[in-house]
Amino acid sequence: MEDLKKRLTQPSIESKQEWFGKLISYLAMILIGGLVGIILIFLTLKGIALFKDNGVGVWHFLSGTDWQPSHHHYGALPMIVTSFSVTVLSGIIALPLALIVAIAITEMLPERVYQYLQPLIELLVGIPSVVYGYLGLTIIVPYLRQVFGGTGFGILAATCVLFLMILPTMTSMTIDSFRAVPQKYRQASIGLGATRWQTISRVIIPSAKNGVLTAMVFGMARAFGEALAVQMVIGNTTVIPKGLMESSATLTSVLTTGIGNTVMGTASNNALWSLALILLVMSLAFNLLMRLSSKKGAR
Amino acid sequence: MQTKTALETKNLQVLYGEKHVAHDINLKFPQNQITALIGASGSGKSTVLRSLNRMNDDFATVKGEINFHGVNINQPKVNVYRVRQQIGMVFQQPTPFPMSIYENVIYGLRLTGEKDRRVLDQRVEESLRQAALWDEVRDQLKASALALSGGQQQRLCIARTLAVRPEIILMDEPTSALDPVSTSQIEDTLVQLKKHLTIIMVTHNMQQASRSADWTAFMHQGHLIEFDKTDTIFMNPHEQKTADYLSGKFG
Amino acid sequence: MRPERVDRLATVIVLSLAGIVGMVVFSLLIYILAMGIPHINWHFLTAEAESFSAGGGIRDQLFNSLYLVVLTLIVSVPLALCAAIYLSEYAPANRWTQGLRLAIEVLSSLPSVVVGLFGYLVFVLQFGFDFSLLAGALALTILNLPILTRSCEDALRQVPYLQRQAGLGLGMSKWRVTTKIVLPAALPGIITGTILSAGRIFGEAAALIYTAGQSSPAINYADWNPFSPTSFLNPLRPAETLAVHIWKVNSEGLVPDARAVSNGSAAVLIITILLFNLIARYAGHRIKQHLTK
Repeated sequence: MEDLKKRLTQPSIESKQEWFGKLISYLAMILIGGLVGIILIFLTLKGIALFKDNGVGVWHFLSGTDWQPSHHHYGALPMIVTSFSVTVLSGIIALPLALIVAIAITEMLPERVYQYLQPLIELLVGIPSVVYGYLGLTIIVPYLRQVFGGTGFGILAATCVLFLMILPTMTSMTIDSFRAVPQKYRQASIGLGATRWQTISRVIIPSAKNGVLTAMVFGMARAFGEALAVQMVIGNTTVIPKGLMESSATLTSVLTTGIGNTVMGTASNNALWSLALILLVMSLAFNLLMRLSSKKGAR
Repeated sequence: MQTKTALETKNLQVLYGEKHVAHDINLKFPQNQITALIGASGSGKSTVLRSLNRMNDDFATVKGEINFHGVNINQPKVNVYRVRQQIGMVFQQPTPFPMSIYENVIYGLRLTGEKDRRVLDQRVEESLRQAALWDEVRDQLKASALALSGGQQQRLCIARTLAVRPEIILMDEPTSALDPVSTSQIEDTLVQLKKHLTIIMVTHNMQQASRSADWTAFMHQGHLIEFDKTDTIFMNPHEQKTADYLSGKFG
Repeated sequence: MRPERVDRLATVIVLSLAGIVGMVVFSLLIYILAMGIPHINWHFLTAEAESFSAGGGIRDQLFNSLYLVVLTLIVSVPLALCAAIYLSEYAPANRWTQGLRLAIEVLSSLPSVVVGLFGYLVFVLQFGFDFSLLAGALALTILNLPILTRSCEDALRQVPYLQRQAGLGLGMSKWRVTTKIVLPAALPGIITGTILSAGRIFGEAAALIYTAGQSSPAINYADWNPFSPTSFLNPLRPAETLAVHIWKVNSEGLVPDARAVSNGSAAVLIITILLFNLIARYAGHRIKQHLTK
């Protein structure tokens, strides 16, 4: 009996396995958590160096319209305006179209069509953004040049590229949120004598609303953070755009071209890190927005 | 109580968060006997059963003592894995692992590092015989356990638990997912098994309790109302609530 | 208007608009493939890239892309799997866990250019890896971790609790239950998720231009010593990937046949990603079959 008492109270091989398992899974988690912390801290520290070490005012930086690092003019407003413009424009165009395609696929076309289209949409989601940028460079820019004159590079070209890039993702997320609407809602609505369109517009879209909203924010967040595809077609002149065909530059495109051409620690380099900080803050804001829009859905 | 006690609870309480689901349960489970825990859904009987081998550790707070061979096993320093090897558990749904019948039975043994083929073979046969499954599967030990019928799968799970040679087996409505024929096979098996070990089971099925249990405990809304020999509980209950429940007035 | 007519009208409008969008998108896809596939031949896939003259291939870029995927997976799969095990098996429901989930979400929302800059700052400069495959792989790991962790956690959560319970009831440790029972059952999902994430990082460019670099020095495919500077396996050499190559050739390239090279590269990129998707489906399916046999 003493023996059993000992067996019951002393650690066994299982205790050791458990200890080991906890150790490595906790370690992995701590590593990831720490990584996120380090990323945020590093980018913040680098991002505020311009204001702390180089004496540039935060407000001046955010509202200045003149971006000439070589002459120590650090006005980021043109890039901020351009980034928001292309993001909002592409989101506004993509949302209704994603909605329409999703309605057609989930509510109007037979299930078989979805089975065939799903892998294709997945492929489109997976196509690298560089390819979308290249498409813009070889098809969209020359086309715009032909139609509107000028160089073709600019906000409109960037909007088109971003629209193409986020459309598959938004469509696929919208389809998912439509498919998550229980079948019984459709049956109940049709049972009450509603037409298909009435069912779609009054039952399905309202109940999938939050999913659709989340899809839109997700797509716009991707568009806001996209660098190379935009950089390839936007023309890269750091002025506040006056029209859709104006050549311009976003936060990301300036970062892409600038980091390699400046020396670490100089004011003009620090200014770029401040742009990166704006990007970081915006991506966190998009994240918050997405949480809000998907949480509302959990009624 | 004439018989020896296999397991004893003293002031056992279980809480899910703030919610008290079992209050002050004092029970002495007699050795080599079958004890049934009965009561309506939500009476806390399954919760109490799962606390006995600390399966509730992750979900609930369990207070009080659970004495097993003079050791209070409801303490953090106690090795829960050894407790569960001594006090095995069979669940409502048969849960064979996706491997062969043979591998399923010796799964627990492999954990303790047993490698000797003869020991393993011998234990497989012994456990399957005890679970009354041997004659049906002796020629297909290498076949997938998933191909067995529901009743066979449940007996396989019993055999799997037996193979570690526990002293007590806890059964959580072991036949509720099975057809009547499989149910009666398992009940017969249980009566055979009590020669070797102690069985504590939760059941919804009154006939099952009266047919196979030696002792019965009746629980109601988290309280132990009455615990006695099965005959006494069913024929001659002391508490009005027990009588009401058995006559179908609630539950 | 009567509801029936509105319904018919709406159906026509929705279907035709969806049809137009679909046609446009798919014709662009077909266009890229049609422009690129004629350029793909043995020479294109196996020749070195040229800097100033026409006729260059993409041998090194293609290899770098694949090698980078392998390196990234070597780092990110174990990490993501352990983190997923923590989240699905061990994580208590408290603030701490919520904070960790939030951290993963934040990680997944970082734009890849920001991740690239962080990689440049920390791996390239601070750790002194220079522009190298290693720095690139670590940057890609940051991009890959949140997606992979999520798909692994989903796969683990799909395994019914009954199976875990059966193992715990036999006195197995939770870790043992996880590795011996839960993990095998979740394997198809984990493998599918891993291959899909591989497809994503294969085409990544923004995070790489300042970590893995934009140059591809001559490498020797006969040199199997990973420590030799010219070895194709050396993780400390700079490495331009296929996606970066497309960007580079178009934005500052000096080769006269930039169009041809980009068309071919874009097609190779898309076909490879298609292959990743197909393999992911097929592999998940096969393993599932194998397990339930």
